[in-house]
Amino acid sequence: MENLTQVVAIDQAVCTGCRRCAEVCPVDAIIGAEGQPQSIDTSKCVICGQCVLACSAFVSPFDDVAENLPAMRKERGLDADDQSLLFAAHFRSDIKRVSALLSDPAKKSMVQCAPAVRTSIAEEYGLAPGTLTPGQLAASLRRLGFDAVYDTIFAADVTIMEESSELLQRIESGGPLPMFTSCCPGWVRYMETAWPDLTEHLSSCKSPQQMAGALFKTYGAEIAGVGPESIASVAVMPCTAKKHEAARPEMQASGVPDVDAVLTVTELAAMLKAKNIDLTAMPEEEFDVPMGLYSGAGVIFGATGGVMEAALRTAIAVTTGKDVSESGVKFFPAGEGIHRASVDVAGKNFRAVVVSGLANAAPLLEDVRAGKADFDFMEVMCCPGGCVAGGGQPKLLPGVDRADAIAKRRGGLHRHDKELPVRASHKNESVVALYEKYLGEPLGHRSHELLHTHYGDKCGGH
Amino acid sequence: MSSRLNSFILASAAKCIGCRACELACGAAHVQGGVSVGSLQGSIAPRLYLTRVEEICVPVGCRHCEDAPCAAVCPNGAIQRTDSGVLVDEEYCVGCKTCLAACPVGAMEMAQIWKDGRPALRKVVDPQNSDTFILEPALLASKCDLCHERENGPACVEACPKDALILVDPMKVKKRRNIEAALALAGVDTRTDFRSGEER
Ligand code: SF4
Ligand code: SF4
Repeated sequence: MENLTQVVAIDQAVCTGCRRCAEVCPVDAIIGAEGQPQSIDTSKCVICGQCVLACSAFVSPFDDVAENLPAMRKERGLDADDQSLLFAAHFRSDIKRVSALLSDPAKKSMVQCAPAVRTSIAEEYGLAPGTLTPGQLAASLRRLGFDAVYDTIFAADVTIMEESSELLQRIESGGPLPMFTSCCPGWVRYMETAWPDLTEHLSSCKSPQQMAGALFKTYGAEIAGVGPESIASVAVMPCTAKKHEAARPEMQASGVPDVDAVLTVTELAAMLKAKNIDLTAMPEEEFDVPMGLYSGAGVIFGATGGVMEAALRTAIAVTTGKDVSESGVKFFPAGEGIHRASVDVAGKNFRAVVVSGLANAAPLLEDVRAGKADFDFMEVMCCPGGCVAGGGQPKLLPGVDRADAIAKRRGGLHRHDKELPVRASHKNESVVALYEKYLGEPLGHRSHELLHTHYGDKCGGH
Repeated sequence: MSSRLNSFILASAAKCIGCRACELACGAAHVQGGVSVGSLQGSIAPRLYLTRVEEICVPVGCRHCEDAPCAAVCPNGAIQRTDSGVLVDEEYCVGCKTCLAACPVGAMEMAQIWKDGRPALRKVVDPQNSDTFILEPALLASKCDLCHERENGPACVEACPKDALILVDPMKVKKRRNIEAALALAGVDTRTDFRSGEER
């Protein structure tokens, strides 16, 4: 997927130079003098979209620039008569691209939704943050015209299978350790741009979005009885960096891009509204089998600490033979945005770190670089709070308590985890079947081809 | 009608960073919706206006004048002084823009007005059939109403990240100034910083 437009950008004609975006940018990528239009240093930017969420400078109908609205919309990938408010800091719209994929009669369309979408999209319909709408989300996507409504959470479960095996293998074979999670593209890009010497510590696992995409075009294509080029693979994400990740040239397990287009939560809501689909009035429907079946462990990928907890559930079950619904491992605060735990797994002491917010990872990375790291496994989420706070999430109005909204979205995911019948990734029947019928075993030959990659050298440009 | 002076929103140019959060919150407060930008139903038309002149930027809006020129010139009696300030009644506004021309601070705009999730409409002759009328959204007088129907008071004041906006009750300010002056005369300095309205 070649797309040369920058994913996240600041419109100089709209920016007032308040620099509120610079306050939230984790990598100091926003440059410009106070009171002057700002620009983004794309060599540093990790495309997290936090600046987009923070920006409140919009085109008012009374502004002189309002006359150029049609042209400005076009530049952002929107229809000339799109009615959404335009802000200075914004991300590229891929709505048109998805509409084109959906109306292509030669394609079978498959969609996936990240966990954090189902706890926030209702906000775009006026409901409170944390309102859970998984069934209505599935129904809405079906009404939009997707042939198969699958789920990223299924792929999150697959990620746990692969990543926990990889960690065990690294521990047995002596490294490289500590291992870092690789599911967050903002974090991966930060490693590639700011800590290139440490990228071998990243797990080789593709992110759940890319695993799902790769499986859609292989396993899914087989199920649908067509070739990979006949599949339109769309992802709905709480994240702007996922748009960039999908376009990475190496993410093409079947010879065509794993994911053809990425919509954010706000873009999906806008598409649904344009088609008069009221998500809140939809019946609750199921996601499609097999790749729409998911466990509670995969659900909590959407909040900080979730990947770690999901991995521990499976690791404890696999090594002790005892199934647990929750790991019971307590993480303790260890500095801003950092939590730590030490746990015995199979008679071995295992030290884990969870980092929320990219800027908080730097001191730990310094330790790794200096060979002083006192941990074995580190989960990092770029956005403070995890994907529930991602740059593609509903943009909260000024005056709304942001921390409270994010806590409620997160609470929604944890409630969803608790209400599901299966709460550990390795117990997901569809995941078990995927390995039996298709992949063989975690880290096996096929997994290696479809679900793993190499970070660092092929880092796509912004 | 009370003999009290009208409240108004006072902006501090020294604190304003020009982020337009006030304008966004204002526009949002005058349409239906929830917590997110995407939930807003209706077009956003702020009722205060971030204004930039050379190095200065500050939002400008209605002063709720005691002898309001807008109310005085409105040929249709659509602008009234009430206990909640100087208010426009869209029902009576015909969009003649006399108020816009009369306002000394430029607080008046002509915009689509939303009530209970619906835009205010005007009746025009149906271009397809000249015997009938159709309704279409009208641009009507739009200005600050001090969010008088809003539980938490003015949305702009609540939204400003720099506390550059305050809702001023002129009588309270005057009384406080009296007290400060009395203390100052006695040699105690407790004056309020004029620009911020905060105790210093
Ligand atoms: S992009 Fe938005 S938040 Fe950043 S300086 Fe410009 S107006 Fe302010
Ligand atoms: S997208 Fe993220 S990293 Fe890039 S400029 Fe915006 S806040 Fe900074």
